[in-house]
Amino acid sequence: MPKIFYVTDIHGSEICWRKFLNAGPHYGADIVIVGGDITGKAMVPIVERGGRWDTTMFDQHVTLETEDEVREIEKKIQNRGYYPIRVSEEEYRHMQEDEDAVDKRFKEVMIEGTERWIAMADDKLAGKVTRVIVCPANDDMFEIDPILKSGHVVEMGGSDPMELEGFEMVSYGWTNPTPWNTFRELPEEELGRRLDKILEKVTDPSRTIFNIHAPPFGSGLDEAPALDENMNIKAGGRALRPVGSTSVRAAIERIQPVLSLHGHIHESKGALRMGSTLVLNPGSSYEEGILQAALITLDAKKHTVKSYQLVNG
Amino acid sequence: MATVGAAPTLFLRKATGLVKGWSRFDAFIYSFMSVNLITLGLYYALSVLAFVPGGQVLPAIILSGVFVTFLVITYAGLISAMPRAGGDYVWQSRVLGGGIAFILAVTGWWFILWHWAPIYANILTVEVLQPLFAIFKWTGAVTWLGTHNGIFITSVGTIVLAGVLVSLGMEGYAKVQRVCFYLGMAALAVMLLILLFGSKSGFQSAFNSESANLFGAKGDVYAQTLRTAATANGVPAMKLSLTPFFGASLLLVPFMAFWILYPNWGATLYGEVRGSGDFRRVMNGMMWGLWVTIAFAIIIVLLMAKTFGWQFFNAANANYWFPLYGGTAAPTIPIFPYPPLLASFYVHSAVFQAIIVLAFGAWFLGWAGTLFLSSTRVVFAAAFDRILPEWAASVSERRHVPFGALALMLFPSIIVSALYAYKSGFITYTLDATLVIAVTFFGTAIAAVVLPWRKKSLYENSTIARYKVGGVPLITISGAITAGFLGWMLFKWFTDSLYAINNKASLRYLVVLYGLAIAVYAIAYVVRRRQGIDLKAIHQEIPVE
Repeated sequence: MPKIFYVTDIHGSEICWRKFLNAGPHYGADIVIVGGDITGKAMVPIVERGGRWDTTMFDQHVTLETEDEVREIEKKIQNRGYYPIRVSEEEYRHMQEDEDAVDKRFKEVMIEGTERWIAMADDKLAGKVTRVIVCPANDDMFEIDPILKSGHVVEMGGSDPMELEGFEMVSYGWTNPTPWNTFRELPEEELGRRLDKILEKVTDPSRTIFNIHAPPFGSGLDEAPALDENMNIKAGGRALRPVGSTSVRAAIERIQPVLSLHGHIHESKGALRMGSTLVLNPGSSYEEGILQAALITLDAKKHTVKSYQLVNG
Repeated sequence: MATVGAAPTLFLRKATGLVKGWSRFDAFIYSFMSVNLITLGLYYALSVLAFVPGGQVLPAIILSGVFVTFLVITYAGLISAMPRAGGDYVWQSRVLGGGIAFILAVTGWWFILWHWAPIYANILTVEVLQPLFAIFKWTGAVTWLGTHNGIFITSVGTIVLAGVLVSLGMEGYAKVQRVCFYLGMAALAVMLLILLFGSKSGFQSAFNSESANLFGAKGDVYAQTLRTAATANGVPAMKLSLTPFFGASLLLVPFMAFWILYPNWGATLYGEVRGSGDFRRVMNGMMWGLWVTIAFAIIIVLLMAKTFGWQFFNAANANYWFPLYGGTAAPTIPIFPYPPLLASFYVHSAVFQAIIVLAFGAWFLGWAGTLFLSSTRVVFAAAFDRILPEWAASVSERRHVPFGALALMLFPSIIVSALYAYKSGFITYTLDATLVIAVTFFGTAIAAVVLPWRKKSLYENSTIARYKVGGVPLITISGAITAGFLGWMLFKWFTDSLYAINNKASLRYLVVLYGLAIAVYAIAYVVRRRQGIDLKAIHQEIPVE
């Protein structure tokens, strides 16, 4: 019986990626999947000043004297999902004033980081698991797609149905609009149209797995803290709003795949049934270095989910 | 490493979830309403001082506050290190293991909350319903509330109220709490002004007058109250001072725990707060909730002593509680001597008195949801871990009501309430209410102590790693002090008859509660194993290298 290890939203966390590379053998999973949002959200400058290095870690200003200290803090920064960048004082000041320079550097570190990760996966996972599938999602810029496609062991999950040991998986990383206007967002109508077109290729719902980044609207797997106009969290984080996609919900209700995997909303870890579909969002705690994941055992003969478990590795 | 010069700032890109922050005031309100001075503090903490006549309440409050401060630091540290819903359950699971975490968390956050339902109901009765009915001279209703049926119906009403408040969702309940906070504070301000400007002689006169008016008492009821306490209940002269600061005053600390132990009550909810990794922000919300409450408690004690008279305040409370523990003397007034009601006697107007009691009812309303709100999150976490069935985490489509978790709270609460109301002797088991929660907190404190070693990378990857005292992690120090504090209270509860729970019946009942938790986990373990699910795998850390 195929066993899937599914994670999502690791957002550049080095420790989470390394755990992911070990997860297949650790849990006895044949298929390991990253559902999207693999790149980080922030760069932490390590500024060279008079032979020493200045940076900020956990809101604390830190001055580093030796190369070993710099490497140590770079590792900590990477473990939280941020990109450490070594810059001169001049470069740092320039980046503070020039958004384009920041964007350019972001692209460079995201591409470099993704290339390094894919190389690590190719090196480590060959022969260890049957399939390694990594999907880009709304927070991932388009430039990483060719890198994901270039992997020897890693396959990029896409909208064309992918055969998966008796099942077919359809992946889609685009989401409905967010307040952050990220790389892969579409208005609901357009998202619905594109999903409909993609799902025309589905031949047997009982053998179909959705790997769609946006969770279904109003499912409880899509509840995020409500924000005010200044992007501050309302009511101490107790005001939650469903922010999932109505198109995704409609697709699940219509097609009724055997399994529907989602991410995007880190706080909304959970599982539920929508008709005959098991819908999962393992959530994400990438900043803490905890690899939240779903372990799913499929029954290829009966075309069912035999068992599932949400784990915190 | 040193820390000098201008700090470089992060470069952020537009990415999902990057938000600016959240209001400390909201966190403060939840904490402030959980450490509820009015509903809990006036009910079974400040009212039982005559049980320890040699102790002093002011040192007891301050000492409790100091110890609970370490509990706040411990919880804020854990929230910061592992900010996801589930609180005690999640932390203990990751650090101590899933089985022990489930047993300690479900007993402290789920099973024992069934027993808090009739306690909440009794607080509603003695602080809202009986005073109101007494003001309007509905004597029959006052009496009925003390009958078996009255106790049961009030409990069911309270359970339904708590269920409705949970059904409003976190946002709706936050709005209710905010309104209740302002209303309750306004009522408290009025009471404090009455106590500040009212004289003792004026209160004596008002008390005698209203006791006659509302309860048909005759003569100098104020003096009779003092006499009854002294002669029938053996209450000696009660002093109000700062000495002894320790000694007998420490014996009052486990009573103070009844209200002061819960500034962390929202800990199971912080997982839903993005940015809760900010250690200081989380800690400040809870710390303000704790210490503002302590400040109000000290002010109220001093003003009650000034205007009611310290001896009278303790005498009236002793006369109410002693008969429930075997005393034979009838109290001079037939209801709980609720301080806001006593203060309202200054104004000889039923309408004013009713308004004061109702406005103080906001303290109850803003707090009642805490009965189930945090519990539902623990049930969710256990269901996601497959220890409980899927339906336990079910949420209704339309209103997002967590009906599965609510059912697991509501129905057992009703059964426990029935036992509380109709089975004599069962009431004593509810005295374990604080103890069981303290055991859960104790487990969490131990988890905090060992976190830096048991989960090294998790700890070092968190903001709390930079807080150390003499090279020792702050969370280890605060956890150890908290564990010591809780351990000492547990020792006192188990060994000292003062707290009325060091008996075989109570122990047997605790065995039943913890046995139930063990049974649920054991059944889940076996059933899931047959389904190919290994519960041990939930929190196993995947190797990094």
